[in-house]
Amino acid sequence: MKKVITGDHAVAIGAKLCRVEVVPAFPITPQTLIIEHIADFVSDGDLDAKFLTMESEHSVMSAAAGASAAGARVFTATSSQGLAFMHEMLYATAPLRLPVVMANASRTLGGPPGIWCEYNDSMGARDSGWLQLYVEDNQEALDMVIQSFRIAEDKRVLLPVMPCLDGFVLTHTVEPVDIPEQEEVDSFLLPYEPDIILDPKRPAMIGTFMPSEYIMELRRQTAGAFESAKEVIRQINSEFAQKFGRDYGGLIDTYMMEDAHTALITMGTVTSTSREVVDELRRKGEKVGLIKLRFFRPFPSNELKKAVSHISALGVFDRSISYHGGGPVYNEVRSALYGMTMPVINHLAGIGGRDVTKEQIMKMFELTQKAGKGEKVNDISWHNTRGETN
Amino acid sequence: MAAQTLAEAAVSEGNYAVAFPYFGAERRGAPVLAFTRIDSKKIFSKTQVYAPDCVVVLDDSLLDTIDVVAGLKPKGMAIINSREKPEDIDLGKIIDTATVNATSIALEILKAPITNTAILGAFAKATGIIKIESLEESIKRKFGEKLGAKVGERNALAAWTAYERTITGKSRGVKKLEARKQWLPTHQEIPVGGCLIEGKTDAGLIGPGSFIENKVSGWATYRPLRDKAKCTMCLLCWFYCPEGTIVRISDRGDLMTNYDYCKGCGVCANECPVDAIKMVRARI
Repeated sequence: MKKVITGDHAVAIGAKLCRVEVVPAFPITPQTLIIEHIADFVSDGDLDAKFLTMESEHSVMSAAAGASAAGARVFTATSSQGLAFMHEMLYATAPLRLPVVMANASRTLGGPPGIWCEYNDSMGARDSGWLQLYVEDNQEALDMVIQSFRIAEDKRVLLPVMPCLDGFVLTHTVEPVDIPEQEEVDSFLLPYEPDIILDPKRPAMIGTFMPSEYIMELRRQTAGAFESAKEVIRQINSEFAQKFGRDYGGLIDTYMMEDAHTALITMGTVTSTSREVVDELRRKGEKVGLIKLRFFRPFPSNELKKAVSHISALGVFDRSISYHGGGPVYNEVRSALYGMTMPVINHLAGIGGRDVTKEQIMKMFELTQKAGKGEKVNDISWHNTRGETN
Repeated sequence: MAAQTLAEAAVSEGNYAVAFPYFGAERRGAPVLAFTRIDSKKIFSKTQVYAPDCVVVLDDSLLDTIDVVAGLKPKGMAIINSREKPEDIDLGKIIDTATVNATSIALEILKAPITNTAILGAFAKATGIIKIESLEESIKRKFGEKLGAKVGERNALAAWTAYERTITGKSRGVKKLEARKQWLPTHQEIPVGGCLIEGKTDAGLIGPGSFIENKVSGWATYRPLRDKAKCTMCLLCWFYCPEGTIVRISDRGDLMTNYDYCKGCGVCANECPVDAIKMVRARI
């Protein structure tokens, strides 16, 4: 069934289709619509879940971890300052291997406060042990909530997953979304059946004090789960594609890369706009391609290496800054491509929610092409930034 | 505090010294480790000490469960808080050993079984690494700053008394001490997320209920004795016991203390409104 809905609504429907059992919630723009829709589902009797209104995001994630440890399928959503406030508890959820799914409506983490899309909120959580993915449209937002639960609850993974959708650009934008039937989702996502839960009849210790004799092995184990997650993500993507007819490519997606000379790596909604830019440049005969970085954690180093093995220059889009120069994606990409000799340059744009236009994306390709021809360009370009000349 | 005080005293003699603890989440009285390194030049090493020149044992009940001299250098020395003479102490090998009954000294002078300052006196006497006068100054400064000059002086007196009463000799080397077994799973073996259910390993129980094996009565200097005639069965002791060692025997309307798990903290005696509980020495 097709419906014209916001990204937030799509995420809420995704959670409902997953038959989530506990939803601790605290509102924050631009996530609010997600939990409002879920509250409606619960009060209307369309979703049999415990909806908990918490006093803060820190408590939201505490309740999420507790409910998950008790064996419930847990969903929540947050954004920006809310994500920052629950930061401590993110670190409690992941290493305890509690498969919570939490949507993050990407938003500038202030100060100064802003409400529009920037990735500095979720990038701050990149080493918390959560899987992170970024979607480009409302359909993918809905579909990835469903896939997130499959990935999170897979016994080879057992890690929390954070699907990120661009604040306002998706959260408050309506577009057609094909809503899967409940029966289809039920056959794709079976009930969550953990091995160990908090149950008075069978006592368990979850998250108790551990000295240095154990924590290092636990970290190593979690790192191993991140490695395993890569194959799980690919498998679940294929299975989803077969069942629902939508193939997202797995950890990355590529567009017009087969014969490309120059490529741009993007995330989120900028990918969507970039597809049209690639089409326009292709019509002019320019051999450009696009790589959509879908998962930032685990980071798809091997996929990227393979995707760019034949090109002569690579541009990397970043929607947040790491204050040693470029953005976090740029640094991960360069690290992944260590040993390859092509120029890799960074394009900072859309920070603070500034609109990323086709002209800016054109400029990203133009600068990357120049670098590929050996012309001198900046390693890091701030696009559409007053006072900067690229 | 003892390790730090020793380091301060060593520094006051013109040396370089570092001291640091290693402990878990246990409360006071639980076994802990502390390390002191002393050198004439700056010490860069920031790692624990595995092959000490001297090992100081503040509680001789540890000798039954831990090979305290496992890493000790061949010519190293053991200093032990014990009422025994060195030749009556079996460390599993014959080594230079000094003993002093620091617990009695502490109870006598400090009125509390806090033995860390007294044992430093034994260290000065037995090793000669540090002068007792330097320790005295260091103890007075360190304890005095925190707890007042009188406390500082009393602790210095405890060190001096131990210094005078320390006996040096050789330990016996008869018993075979096996390294304490510890559950050390690999990252493949450790349960996912460290979540544990009741389990049994070569090194004993793990998970919920595993502390049943962890009998802590050896830590206790005192243990509670309840006078049934005075007891009104108000149950405040039962309520306040941090370890749940006081058990209600419902059919007899009575209480029983499980001394295996009593650390001798004295909370029960302190809370008892009719003074029915007295703390008595668990061992000398």
